[in-house]
Amino acid sequence: DLLQWPQISKCRSPEMETFSCYWTAGNFYNLTAPRIIQLLYKKSNEEDWKECPDYITSGQNSCYFNASYTSVWTPYCVQLASKNDVYDKKCFSVDEIVLPDPPVHLNWTLLNTSQTGIHGDIQVRWDPPPTADVRKGWITLEYELQYKEVNETKWKELKPRLSTMVPLYSLKTARDYEIRIRSRQRTSEKFGEFSEILYVSFSQIGIGCDHCTEEVEFPWFLVVVFGVCGLAVTVISIMLSKQPRLKMLIFPPVPVPKIKGIDPDLLKKGKLDEVNSILACHDSYKTQLYNDDLWVEFIELDIEDPDEKNRASDTDRLLSEDNLKSHGCLGVKDDDSGRASCCEPDIPETDFSASDTCDATSDSDQFKKATEKEEDLLCLDRQDNDKSLPSLANTDPQHQHRNTQSDNSYPWAPFADSIESPHPSVHTQISNQNSLTSTDFYAQVSDITPAGRVVLSPGQKSKLGRAQREGCTEQNFTMDNTYFCEADVKKCIAATSHEENEPHVQEQSYNEDGYFTTESLTTTVANFGASTAEPPSSEMPVADYTSIHIVHSPQGLVLNATALPVPDKEFNVSCGYVSTDQLNKIMP
Amino acid sequence: MSTKGASLKGLLLVVLLVSHMLLTKEGVTSLPICPNGSVNCQLSLEELFDRAVKLSHYIHFLSSEMFNEFDERYAQGRGFIAKAVNSCHTASLTTPEDKEQAQQIHHEDLLNLILGVLRSWNDPLVHLASEVQRIKEAPETILWKAVEIEEQNKRLLEGMEKIVGRVHSGEVGNDIYTPWDGLPSLQLADEDSRLFAFYNLLHCLRRDSHKIDNYLKVLKCRLIHDNNC
Repeated sequence: DLLQWPQISKCRSPEMETFSCYWTAGNFYNLTAPRIIQLLYKKSNEEDWKECPDYITSGQNSCYFNASYTSVWTPYCVQLASKNDVYDKKCFSVDEIVLPDPPVHLNWTLLNTSQTGIHGDIQVRWDPPPTADVRKGWITLEYELQYKEVNETKWKELKPRLSTMVPLYSLKTARDYEIRIRSRQRTSEKFGEFSEILYVSFSQIGIGCDHCTEEVEFPWFLVVVFGVCGLAVTVISIMLSKQPRLKMLIFPPVPVPKIKGIDPDLLKKGKLDEVNSILACHDSYKTQLYNDDLWVEFIELDIEDPDEKNRASDTDRLLSEDNLKSHGCLGVKDDDSGRASCCEPDIPETDFSASDTCDATSDSDQFKKATEKEEDLLCLDRQDNDKSLPSLANTDPQHQHRNTQSDNSYPWAPFADSIESPHPSVHTQISNQNSLTSTDFYAQVSDITPAGRVVLSPGQKSKLGRAQREGCTEQNFTMDNTYFCEADVKKCIAATSHEENEPHVQEQSYNEDGYFTTESLTTTVANFGASTAEPPSSEMPVADYTSIHIVHSPQGLVLNATALPVPDKEFNVSCGYVSTDQLNKIMP
Repeated sequence: MSTKGASLKGLLLVVLLVSHMLLTKEGVTSLPICPNGSVNCQLSLEELFDRAVKLSHYIHFLSSEMFNEFDERYAQGRGFIAKAVNSCHTASLTTPEDKEQAQQIHHEDLLNLILGVLRSWNDPLVHLASEVQRIKEAPETILWKAVEIEEQNKRLLEGMEKIVGRVHSGEVGNDIYTPWDGLPSLQLADEDSRLFAFYNLLHCLRRDSHKIDNYLKVLKCRLIHDNNC
């Protein structure tokens, strides 16, 4: 054990009239012979040490100096000593060691309560310590009040103040509180001991709020509800507002597919004459596409960008078995909002970017040949040219039908026919076409011949040109709502045709600038007799719209030239495609 | 007349507000203005005592803080505490040392004693303010407090003379005064000795300001509130 010497722990005066000194004895007595400890004191102006006058009043190990021994502003020195040894010494003056007693007679009164009765204000009063002579002004005291709820651990403190009463505001009536007060001499820093705890309970005086046991938490629920409502109101007001700019800013319009210069409503309502005229007027469409340079560019681009070939074309994606869902018109360019609807013939670049799998080299020849010819319906010409194709025979009457009837020449794709005629070649071709169809699926009707034939602008040529032969043969044809641009099919056909050395058909294919009937496609595809013999269960791409006049049994459709009974919203007007399903819906 | 009264009141209000701004210093709240030399302005004795008590409390507060700062800054490593048992230059003035003595002394004598102590500190405070600036790296707060104490002490002296003039009908006793000869010790070449001189001076200042504050409070309670503060 460590030897602990006796030590003077503290000297304290509660009222500046008396003072006491306290010491600890240590373990000295246990270790050595018991000795008597004395406390000696000396005033500064004295020479001799005097012994403590009172060892008893302040308790054990203490020395009490009463008023007669106390001089307030006189320096004292005390020392703890036994016979020969001085253990400890302290020097001070009484005004420096003033630590008042705690206040007494704490009580509280209710000032008022809130309207809801949840909170209340109280006034706490107390009396100064009885030993301190405040009335004569000998000592001036400051008080510090602390309070807390009964089950809390941390006390809240108020600023020290001179008055012996203080209000406490906004206490919760449902809770009980504890209050304690301590005092100090006004210019000192140290506080005396705390008073006894005062308990505040509102229920005792009948104020307690029985039903408000829960604290009013921050009303998150209300905040969320009102925030959502406000936001909804704001959104609705913006939507309904007449300010177009604001609406544009916050709710940018979702672009609908469109063909530049053509009002979709015209197509819907079947005003084919107007549309035709519009298309015919736009010579610019033609000229662009006839630009050889563009094709060269296409070619170059193809060569330069080997990655493009690796990219799956839209058609590929369409036709691939993994992708049974039709993407509608796989836009040539996804980011072009105005032309999200695929095939805009006036933008060869878009076609170009999309198409990647088609071999450029084969395209150029095809394109060039195609430009020179003018054709209304691919199928007709092809029919004429390809007598060798037996498969075409089926389509002949229908073609004739169509030609005679469709003055306006939005040739319906004889979907049924195309579907019905099982041409494995077609199937494969078309499936191959997938790879080719990186270009758009539209061909623009540039003009209508007096005979009722449609002259298609050469927009599709570029696309077709790039149809890769390999892609044509490789791709499998996917059914079920897959869309193809006839152009793509054409490309495939063209590619294969190129392979098979039948430029004639190719020319045909490319001449119309992208508008083919499925029938024509079928025929062209059939012409080349693709390698695989899979039944073309898939549908042929529909290039454009024509109303179905007569359903010619399973063999085909007779298209109505006049009306365009587009089933409401079943057709993707912009694309110009009719999926198999849609066509099935049309047909009885 | 009503307008004249209103305008006078307005003027007084403005004067009071301005004076509040000027008079408001740390620890001293605003006191009613009484222009110097004004014959008509008569502050009551209660107001005079209120002012005096506030000033004395403020002076003691500053002295206490100044001593603590000095102690913290310069005295810790030097063992000054052990030498703190000294006598101040005002020790020759027999002032009440406990409550009983303070109760028994006549208020006029007590007032004279207070005046004597205040006068005795006039000189040391002036030199303290000037000499403390020569202490190496003296903190700004100590410098400021020294100047402030000196200034407030003068004001308290003036106030006390007024009170004495009110209370004491006869002549004002001017003979209570202790000269101070501690200036050389504040200018010692040895830094330790010099700092010890400062330490003692500040210690004495704290004690005497506490005495004065206590005596004034006792007098106030006795004279104004009839021993029932």
